Amino acid sequence: MSAAPAFSVFSAVSELFVTAGVFTIVRRNWTRRTFPLGAFLAVALFEAFVNVLYMSHRAAQASTGAEPLPAGLKVSFAAHGLLSLLAYLVFVVLGIFAYQDQKAGRYYFRERPALTWSFLAVWVVSVGSGEALFAVRYLL
Amino acid sequence: MLAPAGGRRGEPPEFRAQRLSAPLVVTLGVLLAVEAVGGMVLFFARLTWSSRPGEELHVWCGIALTLVYAVYQWRHWSRVAPFRARFDYLLGLLASLSMALVNATGLWLGVAWFLEHRPGAGRPAAPLLTALHDVGSMLVLTFVGAHVGAVLMRDRRAGDPTGG
Repeated sequence: MSAAPAFSVFSAVSELFVTAGVFTIVRRNWTRRTFPLGAFLAVALFEAFVNVLYMSHRAAQASTGAEPLPAGLKVSFAAHGLLSLLAYLVFVVLGIFAYQDQKAGRYYFRERPALTWSFLAVWVVSVGSGEALFAVRYLL
Repeated sequence: MLAPAGGRRGEPPEFRAQRLSAPLVVTLGVLLAVEAVGGMVLFFARLTWSSRPGEELHVWCGIALTLVYAVYQWRHWSRVAPFRARFDYLLGLLASLSMALVNATGLWLGVAWFLEHRPGAGRPAAPLLTALHDVGSMLVLTFVGAHVGAVLMRDRRAGDPTGG
């Protein structure tokens, strides 16, 4: 176990707030309330330029071999990285569709429950795997 | 990137279908797909096994993508200009800015790759540049998907009197 870098702690905690934001956006659309465009933009920008950028930077650092890591942890980092990219892409695209549809009086997430639940499941796995990796790397 | 000519609403679908199957757009789409898949393979392999399979192909296709995209964007902008205060235009702008970021960082990494392959050259480590390139790639896929989706949804609504 090694001491967690301060930004890794910040990222691990902020990811939970981002997840709360994602669920709030979906829930508001599901319950036919106004689309929170400001919150959506804030979450999308923060996630891309803080959390995903930091995750990519850590991945790039790890790939230089400067920090020796167990093979299983490396595979888990790589899988988590790809899943995070996918989850982010789907979140932004679906959020934009939901915003557009809502302007026309339609509720994108509510009208597509299978897609919505699948997306939320992918998001939870993505965030959960990140938190688990943080715990394995720095806490256990 | 794929907004309709002159911003006309309710453009016949065959025009959009023709544009989406134009050789330049198909070439751009294929190169983008090759680069996206290649980038993900490199990301995974670099981190997991410290190897970089297909890196040479990724660099050359990246150069081709930059050139094809420059031609495409030039032609596209001459068709859809000026900028309009519309959501699909905003998404197109974000997609093109992301593309500029990913191409610039990619070409920079490509130069590092060429230098690295000179005799006696060391291996340059550029984690921040690599991270910016990775995030830029993610944003390209996100905003290109959102832009194309937004334009197609707008077409669908324009062709449906109920707005659906």
